[in-house]
Amino acid sequence: MKMSKTGLAVIFAAYVLVPLLLGSNSYVMSLIVAAMIIGGIALAWALLGNLGGMVSFGHSAFFGVGAYVSAILTMKAGVPVLAAMLLGGAGAVAASLAMLPVLRLKGPYFALAILAYAHIFKILATEWSSVTGGSAGLASVPRFPTLMGVDLSSKTGSYLIVLSLLLVFIAAYRLIRSSHYGIALRAMHDSEDATRVVGVNSTLLKALMLFVSAFMTGVIGAFNVHYINFLEPDYAFSGLWVTLPIVAAIFGGYRTILGPLVGAVTVYLVDQLVFKNLIPSGHQLVLGALLVAMIIFSPGGLMPLLRKGSRRKHAAA
Amino acid sequence: MNRISSKIGLVAAALSLHVGGAFADEILVGAEIPLTGSLARVGAGMHEGISVAVDVFNKTNGKHTIKIVTADDESAPAKAIAAVEKLAGDGVVAITGGYGSNNIGPASDAANKLGLPYITSGGVAENLTERGYKTFFRINNTAGYQKAMVGLLDTMQIKSASVVYSTKEATADLAKDVEKELAAKGVAVTLHAFDPAITDFKPIINKVRLQDKPEVIVMVGYENDYVGILRAAKVLKPKVKAMVGVWSLATPKMASDFPDLMPSVYGTALLPFPAEFQTEEGKRFADTYMKLYNKAPDYLGQFGFVQSMILFEAIARAADAGTLKSGGIAQELARTDRQTLIGRVQFSDKGDNLNFVHRMGQHQDGKIAIVWPSDAATGKMNFPGVPW
Repeated sequence: MKMSKTGLAVIFAAYVLVPLLLGSNSYVMSLIVAAMIIGGIALAWALLGNLGGMVSFGHSAFFGVGAYVSAILTMKAGVPVLAAMLLGGAGAVAASLAMLPVLRLKGPYFALAILAYAHIFKILATEWSSVTGGSAGLASVPRFPTLMGVDLSSKTGSYLIVLSLLLVFIAAYRLIRSSHYGIALRAMHDSEDATRVVGVNSTLLKALMLFVSAFMTGVIGAFNVHYINFLEPDYAFSGLWVTLPIVAAIFGGYRTILGPLVGAVTVYLVDQLVFKNLIPSGHQLVLGALLVAMIIFSPGGLMPLLRKGSRRKHAAA
Repeated sequence: MNRISSKIGLVAAALSLHVGGAFADEILVGAEIPLTGSLARVGAGMHEGISVAVDVFNKTNGKHTIKIVTADDESAPAKAIAAVEKLAGDGVVAITGGYGSNNIGPASDAANKLGLPYITSGGVAENLTERGYKTFFRINNTAGYQKAMVGLLDTMQIKSASVVYSTKEATADLAKDVEKELAAKGVAVTLHAFDPAITDFKPIINKVRLQDKPEVIVMVGYENDYVGILRAAKVLKPKVKAMVGVWSLATPKMASDFPDLMPSVYGTALLPFPAEFQTEEGKRFADTYMKLYNKAPDYLGQFGFVQSMILFEAIARAADAGTLKSGGIAQELARTDRQTLIGRVQFSDKGDNLNFVHRMGQHQDGKIAIVWPSDAATGKMNFPGVPW
């Protein structure tokens, strides 16, 4: 897997320049972290759509389960936070096992079935109050630890954690896409029946993509709970954990790997730092109009638009 | 990235200019409030009370001037944290506001980390005060609502009740506490939980009507829930003597929006409608409210006013003592002991109001009469009485 010079420069800037330049501004850092949380879910959602060919309206189920598993393990079993986050991802994978029966459904039927699962998990979190705290939720969820002198619970520390998670997710996504599984998955996009005829177990591949996507979303949910330190069923399984990432992924270009991330960071930061300052109440209106314009003029999203722009520049030069 | 950085820089510059432009003798106080999103209506109501408090304080204090900097938390926990951090960056000395325990929790957590006192009336979850923060203060709590509901039912001398409640945090807590206290008094109580998403309450009301046959139906939910429950009850006509609810029910808005559903229904209410104030502070509050918003105040405004006045007075005392930036505001807040528009306010060492007791109002002919406690009553209880 090769990395371009621009990619390395962006990673360097993200690890060094952002903390150096903005680390002291808690407000901007918290917006960046929130944007990256949305970006993480958007990436996982786009992976399922792009590679698995499945449109999900139920990613809040994975987000919520990951958050609850991690919070409960740290609070009740004393598991260290970073290990519990990974176990939160594993918990989301376990939750996705319950969804296997609906994998044979297609299009809106799959989307609606998975939405129903999200609601089921929310009810479980509300009713299983001896473990989850019920509708009262869990307060004072443990924060990130201090590692090698770096306080990971600080804004900069939390940023570095979520940044590292996203880079690992991107690498995993690239690896899957370039593997022979990726070729089979792309072939399934054109015709699932034809792919099955040549011996590809499409249901198994789709299940694997569901597990990967669920794991990523679960880890992000777990990260969020240790960042916010609070959890309740309505918040953990909120529909916003699906709608915002979908908007971000479509805005950035969900067919590309970086599109969902770029979309999330752009949509969130521009909305909060620019539109909200111009129109304190009702700034989402501008964002909505921008999204409609993007879908009309560049259905592929922001990334293809940027690439087209840079190609034109090169041609002119 | 460069573009984003430059935009961030521009905004930061704009913010610093904005703060720099404030008068030197003005003390900045932050208001973190949901002005958009699902809690926009209640957030706007509380914000009106805060603005009235600023006007009243600045006119009556004579020495210190408060300026409010508002940040919309968009009814979302992550944005509530960001709002508190933005306000801290703007140089505020304390924060008033917040609505919904799920937003107040993370926001007050962030404020505590930054050493900023945070005062609210928008969240009654028990775990907010259990954290034991020295910077967190709350002027209302579930216990006050429970005392009012049980007090009213005591006065009615009922023997049985069915409690229909939403599974949301605050409502579930309150319903279970009310059930415990009523059961201890020998009242036969049955609990009926409902998911906040449901809109058709006929199956639950039918079960209450045919199985429980209670004297009173107690509703613990929010506006839409009450409307659904009362609509179902109006269709099925259970033989009860009263329909008793809690917050957001005995309000002028409900009286005007649902005139057919509200007659004789009870709910918690700080004020009768039309509002009547006996105290000097109450009259000043109502006059300023009318001047600023051209309408009579409601309970949200009243809570917002009380929490903010208590905070502003603590800030003034800390400023006089020269401890404004060294933890003096939280210490002064902890020492609060005064009569307010919601009764006497004193804080426990966890920041909860020790004396909070709500009042119960009843919808009567398009107006709201306070019917409990007797020493605050403005009308006679219409009992038995139901909307059908």
